[in-house]
Amino acid sequence: MSIIEVNHVSKEYRLGTITSFKDSATNVIRRLRGKPVKQRVPFLALDDLTFTIDEGEVVGIIGPNGAGKSTLLKLLANVTTPTRGTLAARGKIAPLIEVGAGLVPDLTGRENVFLNAAILGISRAAIAKKFDEIVSFAELEEFIDTPIKRYSSGMKVRLGFAIATSVNAEILIIDEVLAVGDLAFQRKCFDRMEELIKGRGSTVLIVSHNIRQIERMCSRVLMLEHGKLAADGDTLEVADLFYRRSNEKIDAYHRGVHGGMTINYTSGEVTLGSVDLLDEQGRLTDSLPSGGKLRVRVRFSVNRVLKRPEIVVGTHTTDFFYLSASSTALIDDRPDLDPGAHEVEYIVPSFPLVAGTYCIRFAIFDQYQRKVFTGESLKIFTIVPNALDVRDAPMRRLVLPTRWRVDGVPYSSSTPAPMEAASS
Amino acid sequence: MFKVIRDIYEYRELMAVLTHKNITVRYKQAYLGIAWAVLRPLSLMLIFTLVKSFVGIESGDIPYPVLTFAALLPWVFFQDSTTEGIGSVVNNASVVKKIYLPREIFPLTAVITKLVEFGISAFILAGLMAWYQMAPTAHILWAPLIILYTLLVSLTIALVGAAINVTYRDVGAALPILLSLLMYASPVIYPLQLVKDKLITQQAAGEWSDLLYTLYTLNPLAGIIDSFQNVVLRGLPPDFSAMAPGLLLTAVLLPLSYKFFKWSETYFADVI
Repeated sequence: MSIIEVNHVSKEYRLGTITSFKDSATNVIRRLRGKPVKQRVPFLALDDLTFTIDEGEVVGIIGPNGAGKSTLLKLLANVTTPTRGTLAARGKIAPLIEVGAGLVPDLTGRENVFLNAAILGISRAAIAKKFDEIVSFAELEEFIDTPIKRYSSGMKVRLGFAIATSVNAEILIIDEVLAVGDLAFQRKCFDRMEELIKGRGSTVLIVSHNIRQIERMCSRVLMLEHGKLAADGDTLEVADLFYRRSNEKIDAYHRGVHGGMTINYTSGEVTLGSVDLLDEQGRLTDSLPSGGKLRVRVRFSVNRVLKRPEIVVGTHTTDFFYLSASSTALIDDRPDLDPGAHEVEYIVPSFPLVAGTYCIRFAIFDQYQRKVFTGESLKIFTIVPNALDVRDAPMRRLVLPTRWRVDGVPYSSSTPAPMEAASS
Repeated sequence: MFKVIRDIYEYRELMAVLTHKNITVRYKQAYLGIAWAVLRPLSLMLIFTLVKSFVGIESGDIPYPVLTFAALLPWVFFQDSTTEGIGSVVNNASVVKKIYLPREIFPLTAVITKLVEFGISAFILAGLMAWYQMAPTAHILWAPLIILYTLLVSLTIALVGAAINVTYRDVGAALPILLSLLMYASPVIYPLQLVKDKLITQQAAGEWSDLLYTLYTLNPLAGIIDSFQNVVLRGLPPDFSAMAPGLLLTAVLLPLSYKFFKWSETYFADVI
């Protein structure tokens, strides 16, 4: 049974500012003289969107900045109306579009609880009953009678979140609210959201850039791009598509600037030649299978002797989550580097990451730990899923060799040899 | 009509909380607190009384300070509630942009907030009347109705003004000027009787006199202030002939103003 129906909805905004008297006057004169009139350019924030959401669904909405996510939520929350198309939502909507919208700085925490609750449509009796719980959730017992202009920003956000999530509504709309507070409070918010979702069976729409959160909470994801519905379906599939799209974008951006490389620092003693990925046969490649051998070759030249330098090669995700790094500092008899060209190979026999896009970083320090060269995203490569990947459990980052014992009988998964996967 | 009232009734709790908020916020960090609500009409009364001693305005058998204070009560209520009402939607931009509420809540609570301040000033009027040993008659029961009518007049201007103010802030800028002009066109400093004597009795403007008087009373405040003084001070019923033109005008404009507001409401969040 669908609770939200969105039918060919478009939302158009006019770019630029509101016409001033001067502009109107100029336009009148231009019209009288038969000249073209200056008009503000329309901008389609949402472009012919159609979908329905069933009761009890938890739907994530993702997409790059400016894709129209917030506009969509505003339309659903009835804050603004579509330019074309129709939109219907059955049931009471609780919009958590911005935590703390409508908090008044001059009022005390207590007064704000009642005010904000009233704005969100919670009756006075209901909020009075929940008051203590809200205050203790927000951890504000001591400060509840202090004007909130004296609160820290974290305190305000905690209060806003605690009030907003005490709404009893059929449809809950959440925009990026979980990205607030310190880690401990985020954890609490997260649990509360899950309780709201699972406990009450409300229909929930979540907008977030934190795809991991979406993956965890949602059963279905809508992906918006330039105001259009780019994908609609199973969470993992759409999230995967989203990762791919943003990686492509990052990739394209990096290739645009300095040929894909980010050189953070160089003392001038080292000139980077190339950073390549090699396959088993030593041929250049851009991808390897999950669990396969990672072989990185870095070519560079040195213009003066570097005695016993420390070389670091590592990997990171496109959003700079550092995955691995290894240093030659562990090698006691590492060689000196004479002036001239050099080649370094870094080999990881089995690189245990799931399919995705990853990057190589590279750094050189001299024997006194002085930074000589550091660079990131020097090579972007993809890991392709191996043959058995689809049969494995979702929601993981690592692919580790595993063995099982069931009722004492050992089993081993038919984890494919890297070679076999590479050929599939 | 009834649906509108029912919707508003639905949101009574919210309006109560918002009114409370408006008052608290306004006087929270003021040492004199809500006394400020009284100080303005009181100081205006003193100034007018001072001016009157030079100019000489006929106030009948009512002491001038009481007469002018009784005029200032509905006037200040009208002026403040209109001003506050016109700014109300823009002042609540953060809520308007994020959460849906029927937006007429904002002008409405702005006007009601001023009603509370009016109530406080009314005590001062009672004090003044006691000082001059004037006792009200049963006609004072008209007073709440007259104030309700004033509220509707404010709302008529506030609804359309607030809606336009969202797009063009010129309204907010022009308002103080227009209101101060309107004050002189209303019987605040002088009693309505003076105008009536000049135009109706003496026919000062010749054949135009009656028309001019009707035009003058088309300003709802003319009838409101005069009738308020009648029922509170003079112990007389309201002067319906002075009220009729303004009442008619309000009855026509209020629904139009409300319609315009509801029609504009859809784009508030986009342009505010």
